[in-house]
Amino acid sequence: MTAKAKAPGGWQQYCALLGKDIRMELRTREMLVSMGVYAILVLTIYGAALSQTASSFDILSVAAGLMWALILFTSLLGLNRSFSHETENSSLEGILLTPVSRPLVFAAKATSNLIFLLAVEVIAVPLFFIFFMGQAELGSTTPLMILPIILGSIGIAGIGTFLSTLTLNTRGRDVLLAILMVPVVFPLLYACVSATSVALLGIEGQIEIFWRSLLLAGGYDVIMLAASWGLYEFVLGS
Amino acid sequence: MSDPTQSTSNVITTDIAVHNLSKTFGTRKALDGVSFEVPRGAFLSVFGPNGAGKTTLLRILATLSRPSRGTLTMLETDALQKPEDLRGSIGFISHQPLVYGDLSALENLVFYGRLYGADDVENKAKELLALVELDHRANDAARTFSRGMMQRLSLARALINDPQIILLDEPYSGLDPHATFVLDSLISRIREGKTFVMVSHDLERGHALCTHALLLDRGKVVAFDLAENIGIEDLRKAYDPAMLGGVLS
Repeated sequence: MTAKAKAPGGWQQYCALLGKDIRMELRTREMLVSMGVYAILVLTIYGAALSQTASSFDILSVAAGLMWALILFTSLLGLNRSFSHETENSSLEGILLTPVSRPLVFAAKATSNLIFLLAVEVIAVPLFFIFFMGQAELGSTTPLMILPIILGSIGIAGIGTFLSTLTLNTRGRDVLLAILMVPVVFPLLYACVSATSVALLGIEGQIEIFWRSLLLAGGYDVIMLAASWGLYEFVLGS
Repeated sequence: MSDPTQSTSNVITTDIAVHNLSKTFGTRKALDGVSFEVPRGAFLSVFGPNGAGKTTLLRILATLSRPSRGTLTMLETDALQKPEDLRGSIGFISHQPLVYGDLSALENLVFYGRLYGADDVENKAKELLALVELDHRANDAARTFSRGMMQRLSLARALINDPQIILLDEPYSGLDPHATFVLDSLISRIREGKTFVMVSHDLERGHALCTHALLLDRGKVVAFDLAENIGIEDLRKAYDPAMLGGVLS
C-alpha cells in the first residue's frame, strides 16, 4: 500500500478554514469587539486632541492621515488576536497535520482578517465622518475613497497575517508585530493616505495623483501577497 | 536475536522505515543517527527518559518537523520529499488535543474531516463520536470537556481520515482509571491492520500493548527489538540514570 493519494479539493479546504474562523468569531466576538472598542477609543482621543484647534484649522488636510492611523492601529490589535484560537490547544498543529497546503492556510486566515477589518471599518469610518467631518466641505470625489480603503485593507490583512504568523511563537509578539508591521506597510500606507486625501479634497486636476497612488497601493498588495503566499510554507515550517 | 522488522503475523510490508535520522536544535542533538523499521500492523512503543528524543521522533514521523539528516519512508513514500502525500494517511494524538475549544465536538470533527477531504463527513463524525462514547456531548463546546473526554475527542479527530499509521504521544498522561480503560479498549478496537507508534513513560502499559519496542537515550537508539525480547526490567533500568548506556548491552 502506498500513501493514499486522495487529494481533497483546495476550495473545500479554503471554505472549511474560512468558515471555521468566521463561525468562531461570531461565537466569541473576540476580534470584532476588541477592534471596535479600540476604534471608538481612538476616535475619542482624536476628539480631545482636535477640540482645541483654531477655528481656521482645516480638518480635511489631515483627515486622510488620521483615518489611516485609526485603521492601522485597529488592525494591529485584531491581527495580534487572529491566531489566538489556533494557539489555545495547539490547533494550528492539527491543521498542519492535514494535507492542506500551507499557502491555503494563509489565504483563509488573511481573508477572515480582511472580513473582520472591513466589518470594523464599516462602523469606524462613518463615525469618523460624523464626529470630525460634519462641517467640512467634501469634494465630489469623496466616494472614491472606498477604493484606497479596500486596497489598503487587503494589504494590511495579508501582510499582517504573514507577520502575525512569523511572530506567533516569539516573546513580546504584540510589540514585535507592530515593530515589523509599520515599516513594511509604510509604502502602502503612504499611497493610501495620498489617494484618500485627493478623494476627500476633490482638487481639480489632482485625480491623476489618485489613480497613481491607487496603482502603487495595488502593485504593493500584489507583490507582498505573492511573497507572503510563497514564503508561508517556510514560515509555518520553522 | 530475531528480526524485529518481521511482524508476528508474518506480514513483511514495512510501513515506517527510518534510516540514520538526526535532528539538531542549535548545538543540541535531539536525535542522532536513529534507524529502525516498523512492519504493517505492528505496535511500536518508544521508551526513554526525558530528553531522549521521543517526541522529536514522533513529530518527524507526523511530518510536523523535518530532520536535519537521514531518510524517512512511510507507506512506500519518501516522507521528506512528499509529506503532503502522506498526511492523509497519518493520525496523530499529541499531548495537546489539537481541537478548537469554542467549536462543538461534532463541529471539530467535521472541520478536520473537510480538511482531509473525507467522504460523508458529518455521518463519519457522528460514528466516531459514538465510537469514543461522546455522541451524547456532540453539540457541546469542546472547552467544557474533561481531560479524558478531550483525549477521546482527540482520538476521534485522529481517526477522521481513516489513517493507516497512528502516532500517539503519551496518550495516557493525565487520564483517570476509567478514561484509561476507555482509551485502552478504543485502541484495541481500531488496532486491526493499522500501524501504531506510541511514546510512553507508562512502561507496563506501553510494553503490554506493543509488538516492538524502541528504547532511546539522548537521541540514540539503545535497543530496538520485538517486545518479547526486551523485558520490562530492562526498560526500568533505562530510566535509572546510573544504568543509562548499559542497558541491554
